[in-house]
Amino acid sequence: MSGRAPSMLLPFVVAVYAGLLAPLVVVIAISFGPSPTFAFPPTGFTLHWFAEFFASDTFVRSFFRVSLVVGVLAAALATLLGTAAAIGLVRFRFFGREALETFFLAPLLVPQILLGAALYLFYARVALSASIWTLLWGHLIICTPYVIRSVTAGLVGMDPRLEEAAMSLGATRVQAFMKVTMPLLRSSLLSGAIFAFIISFSDINLALFLSGPESTSLPVHIFSQIQWQGDPTIAAASTLQIVIIGLLILIVQRIFRLRLMV
Amino acid sequence: MGRVKARPVWAFLAGPYALFLLLLLIVPFANVALYSVHPYSPTRIVLPELTFDNYAKLFDLYYARLFGRTLRLGLITTIVCAVLGYPLAYWLARARPRLQTLGLFLLIMPLMVSTVIRIFGWIVILGRKGLVNEALAGLGLDPVKLLYTETAVVIGLVNIFMPFMVLPLMAAIERIPPSLEEAARNLGANWAQMFRRTILPLSLPGLISGSLLVYSVSISAFVTPALMGSPRERMAGQQIYDEVLVSFNWPSASSLALTLVLVTLLLMFAALYATRRAGRLERDK
Repeated sequence: MSGRAPSMLLPFVVAVYAGLLAPLVVVIAISFGPSPTFAFPPTGFTLHWFAEFFASDTFVRSFFRVSLVVGVLAAALATLLGTAAAIGLVRFRFFGREALETFFLAPLLVPQILLGAALYLFYARVALSASIWTLLWGHLIICTPYVIRSVTAGLVGMDPRLEEAAMSLGATRVQAFMKVTMPLLRSSLLSGAIFAFIISFSDINLALFLSGPESTSLPVHIFSQIQWQGDPTIAAASTLQIVIIGLLILIVQRIFRLRLMV
Repeated sequence: MGRVKARPVWAFLAGPYALFLLLLLIVPFANVALYSVHPYSPTRIVLPELTFDNYAKLFDLYYARLFGRTLRLGLITTIVCAVLGYPLAYWLARARPRLQTLGLFLLIMPLMVSTVIRIFGWIVILGRKGLVNEALAGLGLDPVKLLYTETAVVIGLVNIFMPFMVLPLMAAIERIPPSLEEAARNLGANWAQMFRRTILPLSLPGLISGSLLVYSVSISAFVTPALMGSPRERMAGQQIYDEVLVSFNWPSASSLALTLVLVTLLLMFAALYATRRAGRLERDK
């Protein structure tokens, strides 16, 4: 009897999902359609807009030289910073530990558009001009908490006796950590890194303020193209981003509990 | 495991990110606070004098309307998210594991795609020659103006922030044992009575924290109102963007940004408190 409610809800649930996914479906569909005015449903199939995408200097630069590069660097550095911070928080007891934990999650509580504005004003104050690096520092702030969250979850679920066993067999503390704990942390590290990449790769709110003319990220470029009434090359670029992010999320879901990440 | 007391190893581990946040989160917002108490100068942007005019200005009619519109659209978005998200959260919480995995993927995947792409999709759907208006034309009806209205902004915001409502709600509902539902039903309650007396009150912390989350991210939205809203009916995020990057009135942008940050932080900590309290009640049971 109690199982009835969910099945009763199914049509409603399907409708809500349809609304959630509609914009993505439409974007993917028109990226393969021949109509330059975004006609939906598409009347044919073409890869023309993808060819346009790869022929466009600005799209190619924003995708490959800015968004991908910043995303990979942000993921690598956030993983370093975040893993160290998580180990410090979980494995040590010290005064102010809980306050520090809250402080480390603070970047997730501050609205991104305001963080972007604050960073822009700070860079202006210290006369730092916009580049890939100013964007990268901004992204590190918002990516690292995801790594911290993922690695913390991994560490908390681990039996400390494993390390103790290694140490009783003669390993030093550092050796025990590196040889026993690190391999077990691999999936938390990997999903933290992937999430950091996704956050950086899809960010627009910080990039709107921190991208310079030579470091326009893909979302910012799409944003200005929409404002200038561009053609479905926007849709092709969007489809590429959707596919990359979809695949990465599938990987995270395979190796880790996805819900912990959001 | 032996705890190291002599050397503060934790400081070496947690220190780098702490310093990083200090330099690129705390200092920039301190800088914003500093800008907000200086007068604006069209030629030099900021004058080295102390003033609170930037805050007094927030009570002008223009800013009062801006705040009113922002808070109102945030509230409507939150209510729609709650109404649409609650059944979804309940369904997900009680779904079989495989369905739940699929449902979570379909919920979180769009959340991770850039906002600008999802808004682009809505522009195509709602535009003058978009999906909705083509369908209306097919039925012989006149086209309606959907895009560049407040309705469009709410549709976009609901679409983007729905997961922030569903995930905490789902977590709260999952903690309610299904046996409780069965007990209520066995005692003669129909489904609606059971829902109102058991599920709804027990999931209230999740609903509260989801609502506070959705509200606080909605009131600082920028991309959605910028691309889907009317240029004459702006939200606070757009005002800040324009004052920073277009009119270079940094003192005014700073007072606005600081006010919005404080409101948001207040709401976020309330949401954290609601979640923690729910967790504590759970443990005490």
